[in-house]
Amino acid sequence: MTSFGAVVRHGRGWLPLIGLAALLDSAVTLALPTVLGRSVDAIASGNDLTRWLWLASGLIMLGITCALVDSFAGTACVAGTTAWLRHRLVRQVVAAGPEGTRRFDTGDLVSRVSGSASDAAQAGPASVTAVAAALPPLGSLVLLALIDPWLAVGFLGGVVLVIAVLWVFARRTTEISLAYQETQGRIAALLTEALGGIRTIAAAGTADREERRVLGLLPELHRHGLLTWRVLARSGAQAALIGPLVLVAVLAIGGLQLVDGRITAGELFAAAQYAVIGAGLGSLTGILGELARARAGIHRSAEVMAVEPVAYGSLPLPPGPGRLVYDDVSVSADDVLLLDHVNLDLPGGATIAVVGPSGAGKSVLAALAARLRDPDSGLVLLDGVPLKAVRRASLRQAVGCAFERPVLVGRTVSESISAGQVTPVQLLAAARATHAHDFASRLPQGYHTPLPEAPMSGGEAQRLGLARAWHAGRLLVLDDATSSLDTATERQISRTLTEDRHHRTRLIVTHRASTAARADLVVWLDRGRVRAVGPHQRLWQDPSYREIFG
Amino acid sequence: MRRELGFGAAALRRRSTLEFAAWSVPEILPTAVYGLAVAHATDAFLAGRAGTGLAWLGGLVAAAGVGAVGARQAYRRLGELVEPFRDVLVRRVVNGALRNNAAGAVSRLNRQVEIVRDTFAGLIVVTRSFAITVVGVVTGLLSLDPVIAALVVPPFLLGFAVSLGILGVAADRVKASLFADEQLTTSAGSAFAGVRDITATGAEDFAAELVGEPIEAHAAAERALARVAALRTLCFAIGGWLPLLILLAAGPWLIGRGVSTGTLLGGLTYVLLGLQPTLSTVMSALGDSGLRYVVTLGRILDSSAVAETPKSTGSPRGHQVRLHKVSFAYGPQAEPVLHDLDLVVPEGDHLTVVGPSGIGKSTLAALICGMLPPTGGRLVVGRVPPSELSAAELAKTRVLIPQEAYVFSGTVLENLMYLAPAATTNQVNRAIEVVGAEALVSRLGGPAAAIRPSQLSAGERQLIALVRSYLSPAPLAVLDEATCHLDPEAERQAEEAFAARGGTLIVVAHRISSALRAHRILVLDGNQAMVARHNTLLRQSPLYQDLLGHWQAPQPDQIQPAS
Repeated sequence: MTSFGAVVRHGRGWLPLIGLAALLDSAVTLALPTVLGRSVDAIASGNDLTRWLWLASGLIMLGITCALVDSFAGTACVAGTTAWLRHRLVRQVVAAGPEGTRRFDTGDLVSRVSGSASDAAQAGPASVTAVAAALPPLGSLVLLALIDPWLAVGFLGGVVLVIAVLWVFARRTTEISLAYQETQGRIAALLTEALGGIRTIAAAGTADREERRVLGLLPELHRHGLLTWRVLARSGAQAALIGPLVLVAVLAIGGLQLVDGRITAGELFAAAQYAVIGAGLGSLTGILGELARARAGIHRSAEVMAVEPVAYGSLPLPPGPGRLVYDDVSVSADDVLLLDHVNLDLPGGATIAVVGPSGAGKSVLAALAARLRDPDSGLVLLDGVPLKAVRRASLRQAVGCAFERPVLVGRTVSESISAGQVTPVQLLAAARATHAHDFASRLPQGYHTPLPEAPMSGGEAQRLGLARAWHAGRLLVLDDATSSLDTATERQISRTLTEDRHHRTRLIVTHRASTAARADLVVWLDRGRVRAVGPHQRLWQDPSYREIFG
Repeated sequence: MRRELGFGAAALRRRSTLEFAAWSVPEILPTAVYGLAVAHATDAFLAGRAGTGLAWLGGLVAAAGVGAVGARQAYRRLGELVEPFRDVLVRRVVNGALRNNAAGAVSRLNRQVEIVRDTFAGLIVVTRSFAITVVGVVTGLLSLDPVIAALVVPPFLLGFAVSLGILGVAADRVKASLFADEQLTTSAGSAFAGVRDITATGAEDFAAELVGEPIEAHAAAERALARVAALRTLCFAIGGWLPLLILLAAGPWLIGRGVSTGTLLGGLTYVLLGLQPTLSTVMSALGDSGLRYVVTLGRILDSSAVAETPKSTGSPRGHQVRLHKVSFAYGPQAEPVLHDLDLVVPEGDHLTVVGPSGIGKSTLAALICGMLPPTGGRLVVGRVPPSELSAAELAKTRVLIPQEAYVFSGTVLENLMYLAPAATTNQVNRAIEVVGAEALVSRLGGPAAAIRPSQLSAGERQLIALVRSYLSPAPLAVLDEATCHLDPEAERQAEEAFAARGGTLIVVAHRISSALRAHRILVLDGNQAMVARHNTLLRQSPLYQDLLGHWQAPQPDQIQPAS
């Protein structure tokens, strides 16, 4: 459970300290003007200053100590809670699997981990400091009113004016910065376009021309930019005029009281200070905003934490050839039936091609075999054990899956093939078998090349994706995993697959007739149903089967 | 840090800077008058002269009015300082992106340039207000009582100086924090994009550790930043609180010297309302936006630096391509992509390059076109190494048509005449016809119609790029899988048009059918290479046989129909 309370509780060790420091700091802020005022009165009247001076020094030291405690304890609390929340979110996301994370965009998830988590971690400190932060502005108003009620009235009038200025400013900037951002976006779009054709541009030596084209909008951006400063100039001037008004109002009223002898010079000084502290009322909205942000951050984190992780079983896989059985399997998504009562008994060690027009359910069939999703009804069994009941480690050791568009995860090329699941020797063997070695070894630092510095074509990424799945002990699922390879490479890999000396079951989703022809068995899917199962040669006699391959 | 500050300072236009500074002068007035007005008003009130006291306060409002006029003018000038600076950055990023092809240029253009713009403006504003306040307060204090100035100003300056001293420490910490944040975003992005793959490989723990590392690094960086904040608090204690305590402690002595209560209050006002706020603002601005400015600008400058290309003077004689023992590797440790390749492509030849993907076909095309320098051997085009030719000279000699066709927002004609600005309407129409783009051009609305690149299919983009390259004056055309998104028939028409165009044609084949149209075929196979005609290769190259056999007879069964 990730609730506001849970996040706050995680930092509970620090919170009393943070709260205490904030309270003391507020008390210091409120007490100091009075103490300074009394000091001035003591100096003016020639009384003993020592006591007040020590008190003032003591208060200032206490204030500094509170600030130090706040920076250490506050940061430690927020940093610790943020990291704790981030770890949990990351573990949750990867454990949720493709089905669990389907409704989130990648960028959205990243922003929840990087942004929302750190917002959420403010929950504890923001809660305990909210009260303390409200004390100085509110307290100074009270103290101002205690010195003289009219001082408070003058003060409030000034504050209303300042708020009005800020409000007008916020509205006008929004409009103008929108136009600015729009122009900026158009420039970025032109640059993106040009970068897409960078090889053409480099070859044609037209970089200068492209630069002029992209920068054509720069004068417009410049104009919009200048406008933002104009608005700022007006509101800046207004603020410069209105800012002192609050203080002057308080000083004037206080001065008249001084003439009447109702307050001392020190009290007038204190009143001016309280007027300034009271103007900090605006910063209260900041604290409330922080609390609101924390609440929103926790909400966004909780949405991720609410996703059900993939539930693995506890059984090991018994020894077996890799026989794959679909027992009355149906899958639907958004009321669309993807697989409709599929029954298949696929022999272990065989090469099985899965063919069919697009939308037939081929990828769903493959995803079920790799347990990337579960059927809504029916069972998928590997060597007699339902996949759902198998331990995660046993399952992933036995079953490997390669995709049409693999996403490679890891710091280096070698990590993208195996993150320590197999030995370096096995890794190299897998890379050779899938011809990933041909280009991996030609990279600037070979297998140790950082992934972002190893730009790859679709075919090259597919070969790494194949190498990554290669360690599978019993079942190899290939979901259109060689589609981007050129004919020559595809042929080589196809041969390796057909002659697999590990005798694994190979379930190959394909669009190519040649792959189907080399398979032992072809599963022909059509609109979620098994239309036929048999060798390619026999199926080929059916004209509608031939149509699949165009 | 010096480079970034220098870069910003150099971008300041002198005239705008002077005007900005000049308009800041009126703003000194309210700051300077503040404590003075409080001092005299208090003394007047104490003496029972309410009118005089109010008049002093009225004077304070008047001074604020003068300051407001100055503020308004100064902020307008601020735009004239900041916007040109932003222009410089945008130009630099675009310039670097188009020449270095560095990743992340677009994010630099949007996010990083904005960060630098805002922090640059912030630095100017804060520096200015700090200068105004210090000058104003010192002026006010001197006119109030020079002794008070002597008590207050030195500790204030000391605190400020120490806070400048710790900036170096802070810079490293801020840098570390920004870096960790970036690492976190990158690794989380790659892991989350690959959740399916992580599940499939059972790499959940690895992924959690992969992202967990920057999470911990970020937390550590944040904790380290707390120590900087603590140092800053201590600096503030020296610069902000010490002057106050000194003034109070000296109070009785000052009164004894004839200083009035009002004057003492004025001095305290200067410290509390003038020096303290400005010190805290300038410290946090320098420590936060100042460092963000330095770090972000540093990143922009690093990634947009364009390597100077040596000016080239050679000019080619003809366009024969000759490679002698040419090798190429992407790094000193990497296995070479091409090894000791010998090849001569005479003028007027039509050569097709075939071989498995990743074998170096595109690298060969890039080498011939002078886009990459060979790491060994000698390569000449028209008897001159391409590296000795200027970009313009190269563009006149050869045209490279890459797989990813470039189509930009503009009219059809602008796109087609990109490489041949002087082409006549007849030439353009003929090129459209022979390459086979008539249907496309008319669908788009004729040559004058505007193109939205995102609305074209990959094949349509390739057709546009092919017509454009056909019009290029260069006699040597290199098609690097430039027809891979066309259907086989369209590919045939385009290739035949280029073959009949005159000059040399080199085709890096996507489909083996391209080989059948060539005079000669280069088969790349591992580090082996073989150039010959079709019939010779059929007899001598097993790879070629294999490729061709595969293409001709994909169905292994003899009883199936010939369709």
